[in-house]
Amino acid sequence: MSKTSALLPVIVALPFLASVFTAFFGPRLLRRHSHWPCILATATACVLSCFVLAGVVRSEQPILAGYEEPPPSVRYDFTWMKAGSVDIGYTLRADGLTAIMLLTVTFVATWIAVFSIGYMSHEREHNAGYARFFAEMSLFICSMLGLVLADNFILVYAFWEGVGLCSYLLVGFWFAKPAAAAAARKALLVTRLGDVGFILGILVLWMGFDRPAPLGGPDPSVLNFDVAFRLAPAQDPAILALVCLLFLCGAVGKSAQFPLYVWLPDAMEGPTPVSALIHAATMVTAGVYLIARSMPLFHAAPPYVLMIVASIGAFTAMLAALIALTQPDLKRVLAYSTISQIGYMFLALGSASSGTLVAAAVVAGIFHLVTHAFFKALLFLSAGSVMHAMGNVIDMRRFSGLRYAMPTTHWTFLCGAGALAALPPLSGFWSKDEILGVTLKAGAAEHYPGVYVVLFLMGLLTAGLTAFYTFRAYFKTFWGELRIPPEAGDHAHESPEVMLVPLRVLAVGAVALGFVIQPLTGWFSGLLEHHWANVSFPGQPLPHVVEHGHNWVLMFISSMFGVGGVFVAWFMYVCQPGLPERVVRGMQGLYQMSLNKFHVDEIYYALFAKPLSMMASVFKVFDQYVVDSVVDLVGSVPRMIGMLLRPIQNGLVQFYALAMMLGLTVFLGALVIRMAR
Amino acid sequence: MDLPRLELLIILALPLVAGIVVGLMGPQRGRAIRWIAAATTAATLLLTLHVAAQFMRFNTPRAAQAEKRVDTPTFRPLFVPGAPGVTLHEGNIREENPHGTSWNLLPLGPGNIQFFIGIDGINLWLVVLTAVLGVPVVLVSWNHISVRVNEFYAWLLILQTAMLGIFLSFDIILFYVFFELSLVPLFFLIGIWGGPERRYAAGKFFIYTLTGSLITLLGVLGVVFACYTKNNNELTFSIPRLVEIVHARLRIPNEEERQFWANVQLWVFLALTAGFAVKVPLVPFHTWLPLAHVEAPTAGSIDLAGVLLKVGAYGFLRLCVPLAPDVSLNLGLPLVSTLAVVGIIYGALCAYAQDDIKRLVAYSSVSHLGLCMLGMFALNSAGISGSIMQMINHGLSTSGLFLIVGMLYERYHTRKISDYGGMAARLPLFGVFMTFICMSSIGLPGLNGFIGELLSLMGVFEQQWQRDQFPIYAVIGAFGMFLGAWYLMTMLRRVFFGPLKEPPVPEHEQHDPITDLTGRELTALVPLAILCVVVGLYPQPMLDTMRPDVKVIEDIAGNARKRVVLAAQRGPAVVENDRGEGAAP
Repeated sequence: MSKTSALLPVIVALPFLASVFTAFFGPRLLRRHSHWPCILATATACVLSCFVLAGVVRSEQPILAGYEEPPPSVRYDFTWMKAGSVDIGYTLRADGLTAIMLLTVTFVATWIAVFSIGYMSHEREHNAGYARFFAEMSLFICSMLGLVLADNFILVYAFWEGVGLCSYLLVGFWFAKPAAAAAARKALLVTRLGDVGFILGILVLWMGFDRPAPLGGPDPSVLNFDVAFRLAPAQDPAILALVCLLFLCGAVGKSAQFPLYVWLPDAMEGPTPVSALIHAATMVTAGVYLIARSMPLFHAAPPYVLMIVASIGAFTAMLAALIALTQPDLKRVLAYSTISQIGYMFLALGSASSGTLVAAAVVAGIFHLVTHAFFKALLFLSAGSVMHAMGNVIDMRRFSGLRYAMPTTHWTFLCGAGALAALPPLSGFWSKDEILGVTLKAGAAEHYPGVYVVLFLMGLLTAGLTAFYTFRAYFKTFWGELRIPPEAGDHAHESPEVMLVPLRVLAVGAVALGFVIQPLTGWFSGLLEHHWANVSFPGQPLPHVVEHGHNWVLMFISSMFGVGGVFVAWFMYVCQPGLPERVVRGMQGLYQMSLNKFHVDEIYYALFAKPLSMMASVFKVFDQYVVDSVVDLVGSVPRMIGMLLRPIQNGLVQFYALAMMLGLTVFLGALVIRMAR
Repeated sequence: MDLPRLELLIILALPLVAGIVVGLMGPQRGRAIRWIAAATTAATLLLTLHVAAQFMRFNTPRAAQAEKRVDTPTFRPLFVPGAPGVTLHEGNIREENPHGTSWNLLPLGPGNIQFFIGIDGINLWLVVLTAVLGVPVVLVSWNHISVRVNEFYAWLLILQTAMLGIFLSFDIILFYVFFELSLVPLFFLIGIWGGPERRYAAGKFFIYTLTGSLITLLGVLGVVFACYTKNNNELTFSIPRLVEIVHARLRIPNEEERQFWANVQLWVFLALTAGFAVKVPLVPFHTWLPLAHVEAPTAGSIDLAGVLLKVGAYGFLRLCVPLAPDVSLNLGLPLVSTLAVVGIIYGALCAYAQDDIKRLVAYSSVSHLGLCMLGMFALNSAGISGSIMQMINHGLSTSGLFLIVGMLYERYHTRKISDYGGMAARLPLFGVFMTFICMSSIGLPGLNGFIGELLSLMGVFEQQWQRDQFPIYAVIGAFGMFLGAWYLMTMLRRVFFGPLKEPPVPEHEQHDPITDLTGRELTALVPLAILCVVVGLYPQPMLDTMRPDVKVIEDIAGNARKRVVLAAQRGPAVVENDRGEGAAP
C-alpha cells in the first residue's frame, strides 16, 4: 500500500465529512460561515488530487486502495456486502483517467463553491438554507469523487445514485417553487430510468461473463474493473454488446443524451452554481466517464455498439443545438449547449471503432470533457452573475446591453462563449478539433466508414450552429442598448469580488488550458496513453498509432464554421436587429418547432407519463372494486348459506313438531320400504 | 442457565407481564402507564441487543461448522432455554440435543409439544427489529391515544410478546399459537382505537388472516403426522427435527415413498402458503392490508407493516421451503415469483394513484414485500440473504414513513395528499426526515433499502441466468425499483414541496400552535434513521450472522434441485396427484 493509495479514501471522505459537519452544525454554529467546510474540503481534495496525479505518473500500475490482496482476489479491507456469490468491497482505484477527472472536478467545484458565497448571499440571512446548500454541495462533490475513484461497478453505481440524489436535492433547493420541485423530481426519475439499464448491465456482466469458474457458483470478483477488463476480450460478443448497451442506457440518462435528455434543461430551476456544477464538473460528465472507463468492454464488443454510441452523440449534439437556436432564456441556451457538447464527447468515444483509434478517441472525449468543464462552468457562473444583478431575471428578451454595466462579467462570458464556439485558439477549439479529427479517422477505418463520415459532417455542421447560438445569446445579453428589468431594482451593477475572482480564474482556464495541456505540451494524451490505456487493457496490449501531427485542413474548415457562426450572429443581432424577426416570419414552422423543443417533452408525457398514471388510476379502481369485491363475495358465502337456512329456525313450536313428524314419517317409510324389499 | 437464555426468556415474558400489569391499572393513570410501557420496550430492546451481541460471538464457529457439515441440513438454534443444547466451548460448538429442549409444555402421545425457543441467524435480526420498533410504537401513541389508555398499552405489549414469540419459536405448535395470538391484540387495536371504519377493517383483517392461517394449521398438522407415520412413530413438533426427517425421507429412492412425499409436500406447501401468502401479502390476497393500515392507529400500522407482514415471509422461509423443498422449487418458484413480480408492479401503480398517504404506504408495502419474496424464491444465498435484509429494511423504512404520517395526522387530522402542499417550509424537520426515509425506501445506495433490493435482484438474476432463462423477474424487479422512486417522489413533491398549503387546524386544538417535531418524536425517529445509515453502509455483520442458516436453506433447495434433475432424467416427473388426498394419512 503506497502512500498515494492512502490518499484516495481521504479525497472522498473530506467532502463527505464537510457535508455531515455542515448539516449538523451549520444552522446553529457556523451560520454565516457555513461555506467554509465545503470550500476547505474541496480545495484540500484538489491539492491531494495533484499528489495523486504525481503518484499516477510515477507508477506503472493503477493505484489501488482497499484491497488486502491484489484484484483477482476478493479480500478487502472493508467488505460492503458479501452473501453467496456476491462479494463487494469498498475499493478505490486511481489511474490517468481518474487523476484527470479528480483534478477537474475538485478545481472547478472549488471555484463554484467560492462563487456561491456571493450568489447565495440572499440565503445567508436565513441560516438554515445557507447551511443546507453547502452541505448538499459537499455531498454532491463527494459523490462525484467517489464515482471516479470507485474500483468496482456496484460502487460506481452507488455513487452514481448518490450524484442523482444530490442533484435532486439541489435542483429542488428552492422547493417552494413548483417548477423547482417538479424539475427535481423529473431529474431523479429520468436518470433513474436509465439506471435501471445500468444495474441490469452490471448484473449481466456479473453472471454472463465466462471465466475460469471456481467451485460453486459464479466468481464475485468479476465486478472489479481489472478482472472484468482482463476477461472482456474472451467473451461472447452478444453478451458484451448487451452489457455495453445497458451501460449506455445509464450513461444516456446521467449525461442527458437523447432520448433521456429532457431533465437537464429543467434542472436549471436550481440555484445557478448548482447548474454550473451539474453541467460542468459533476453529474453529466458521469456518463462520459463511465463509457471511457468501460472502454475495454466497448472495445471488445461488436463494432456496432460504438457506432450506436457515436450516433447518439452526434444526433443529440445536433438536436440540442437546433433547440438552443431559439430559446429566449439564457440559462436554457446554456443547458442545451451542454447536452450538445456532451453529445460531442459521446461522438468522440464512439469513434473508437478500431484498435488504433481507442486511445485517440478517449483522449479526444476526455479532453473535451475537461475544457468543457472550464468554459461551461464559466458560462453558467457568468450567467449567474447576470441573473444576480438582474434580480433573478434570465429571459434575454428583458435585458440587453450589459457590456458597460457589468464589464468583468462581460469579458468572462465572452471568453466562455468563444471557447464554446470553438474559436481558435481557445480551449474549446482544440478539444473539438480532436473530436472531429478522430471521427474523420473513424470514417476511414474498417467498421461503418460511411456512418462515421455522416456523423463527422453532422459534427461539423453542429459546430457552426453552436457558434451561432452561443453568440446570439452573447450579443442579445451584452450588446445593443442598455435595458434592465424592473426586478433588478437598484443593484443592477457588477457583482461583488467574491463572484468575480472565480470568473477570472475559470476564464483563464477556458482561454489557455486547452492549448497548454494538449497541443503545446502533449501532457494530456501522454497521461492517458501511458497511465490509462496501458493499464486498462491488461493482457492485450493496445496498438498505439497516435499521430501527434495536426490536420491543418480540418482545423481550418472547423474554425471557418465557428467564425462563420459568430459572424452570422453578429450580423443578425448587432448589424441588422430587425433581421431575426423577418427570418422568423419566413420560417415560422421551423422556428416554432425549435422554440417548443420539438415537443419532445409533450410526446414523452403523452406516451409514457400519462399512460402510466392512467394505468395507476385504473389499477386503483380495479383493486378496490374488483379484487376486494371478490374477497367480500367469498366472505359472504357463509352468510348466504346461513340466510338460506335461517327460515327454518322460525321459533314456532308447531313448525318444529311438523318437521319432526315429517322427518320421522319419511325415515320410517324408507325403513319399511327397504325391509319390505 | 447461562445469561443469554435467561435473557431470551425475559425478552419474551417481560412485555406480556407488563401488559397484564398495565391492563389491570386504571385508565386514568395514563402517565404511569405510558412510562411503564416505554420502560418495558426499552428494556426489551437492550436485552435483545445484548443477546445479539452474544450471538455474534458464535459467528466464526458457526461458519466453520456450516463448512464441514455432512449431515442433513437443518436449523440449529442457540440459547435454547431448558436444554443443554448448543454451547460455546473453547471456541468450538458443543451440541447436545440440538433439536429440542427439555421443557415440555404438553405431552401428546409419544411426543411432546415443547417450549422450544431459540435464536439462529434467520430470526435474530427479525427479533431485533421487533424490539427496535417497540419503542417508537409506544412513543408515537403518547398523546395520540387518550381513551382507554390502559387497555391500549396492554394490547400493544401483548402484541409485542406475540410477535417476538413467532420469531423465537422452534416448536411448530408453539409457532402457530403465537401466530394466532398476534391477531387478537391487533384486532382490538384496530377495532377500538382505529379510524371511522375501524370495525369493518378489524373484522376483515381478523377473518381474512384467520381463514388463511386455519388452512396453515392443516398443513402444520399434516407435516407432523406424515413424519410421525413414516419415521418409526416418532412424534415431534420441533421444526429442526421435522426438517431433518423430511429431508432424510426424501432421499430414499423408493417409488412408493417418493409418491407419498410428493403428495404430502404438495398439500403442505399449498396449506402453508394459504396462510402466509395472505400475511405477506402476495397479490391478490392483499386487500385487507390497505384497509387495516388506514384504519389502524399509527402504532398498529407500524406493528402491522414493520413486523407482522414479515411473519408471512418468515413463515415461507422457516417452514414452507424447508418442509416442502421439492414443491417449493417446482411449483413455488414460478408461482410465488410470478405473484411477487405482479405485486411489485401492481402495488407500485396502486400506490401512485392513492390520495391517502397511509394507503400509499400500504400499497408500497405490497410492492416491497414482492421484491422480498422474489429474492427468497431465488433459493440461493444471495437471494435469501437479500430477502431477509429486505424484511429488516422494509421494517425500518416503512415504520419511519408511518411514524411521520402519524405525527402529521396528529397535527392536522388529515392524511389526504391533496390537503397538503409545501409542508417542508412549515415543518422543516418533517421534510428532512420524510425525504430521508423516502430515499431509504426507494433503495438509495448507502442507505438500508439498497442492500436488500440489490441482493434480492442479484439472487433472482443468478437463479434464472444459471438455468439459461431470460431473467425476466430481475428485469421487472429492477423496473419496480424505478416505480418505487416514481410514487414516493411524487408524494414527496405534492406534500412537502411546492407552495405552502396547510390544512386547516381542527377547531378544538387551535389554542396550541402547530410545532415541528418534538423531542419525543425525534427520539422515535432518530434511532431509525441512524439504523438506516448503519445498515446501508455496513450490513456485513448481519450478513455474516445469517450466512450459516441461509446456507442451510440453500442446501435444502440445492438437494431438491438435484432430485428434480434426477427425476427428469429418469422420466417424466410424477408430481401430479389427482387422488385428492390430504397430507394426513
